[in-house]
Amino acid sequence: MKPERTARLAGRWARLYTRGLPAAVGERRIEEIEVDLQDQIAFERAGGTGDRRIALSILSRMARGLAADASWRGQHARASTTYRLGAGVAIGSAFFIVWLMGAVGIIGVEGDPADLMFFGVFAVGILGAVIARFRPPGAPRALGMARTMLAMATAQGLVGVVALIAGKHQAAISSVFEILGLTGMFAALFLGSAWLFWQAARKRI
Amino acid sequence: MPRRKPGALLPLENEILAAALATLPSGEGAFHGFGLAQAMREQGGSRSLTGHGTLYKALGRLEEFGLLTSRWEDAAATEGRPRRRLYELTGQGLEVAERALAEDAAKAAGRSPRIAPEPA
Repeated sequence: MKPERTARLAGRWARLYTRGLPAAVGERRIEEIEVDLQDQIAFERAGGTGDRRIALSILSRMARGLAADASWRGQHARASTTYRLGAGVAIGSAFFIVWLMGAVGIIGVEGDPADLMFFGVFAVGILGAVIARFRPPGAPRALGMARTMLAMATAQGLVGVVALIAGKHQAAISSVFEILGLTGMFAALFLGSAWLFWQAARKRI
Repeated sequence: MPRRKPGALLPLENEILAAALATLPSGEGAFHGFGLAQAMREQGGSRSLTGHGTLYKALGRLEEFGLLTSRWEDAAATEGRPRRRLYELTGQGLEVAERALAEDAAKAAGRSPRIAPEPA
């Protein structure tokens, strides 16, 4: 029995249980396992261990890790779905805001410059998402996105407050109820997205 | 299966931190998966290496707890083999590892960490 053959089997198993997971998460696991297997073969051979014994040791390590592999995959798969849901809510809300701005206007009438404040909310989201992208994949990145969505919800709330301070509710087409209702609804959507990202982070732990 | 308390470490995770702590005096600081499995086998006096899934799942958890940090090895240092993922203890990880080792030493010495009752 050649150690290289059992190493290939362990590598194939790693490819199988990482299938469908986010690329960064899956590739990292596969690369770590592959270099571990090479290191083990080189180390044990240098120490004079026979090929058969090395091959059996690799098989044993793979078999003893199967339950942990399955549980790790389950956590990441569930977290990945929740993470995508969070991203979907955030992107869907942003598109809804843009559509509403173009179609009827959110604050005041269509084309009111006050609506440009919503681009400030998007800027907060883009900046936060870029910062989160530099964090390690998994819980740290999901937590970064949850914080970004919280910041977007806060910025969204501020847009409503600023619009009221600027007296936009006195326009014939807008009322306090409309301004607070719409900005509050968008803030709630971003809070919902933050909750989903936070849940994704928790499921990875 | 009951969920464990957030932040609670498993014996394997304590073992990993202890092995990571042992790399510090040699000046290496950073360690990789197989090197760690090998160090744990030697320290534990075991004949077998930790299973792949068990080891890397635990390393991932410790990283998510903020006790370890990791990075890919420089391409120049790989000497033709695949690059290794290098792990290092964070400041918080160092504290937790030292505390876990002290508790283990206290248990091994048969001492109770509790304060002795005052004489009547």
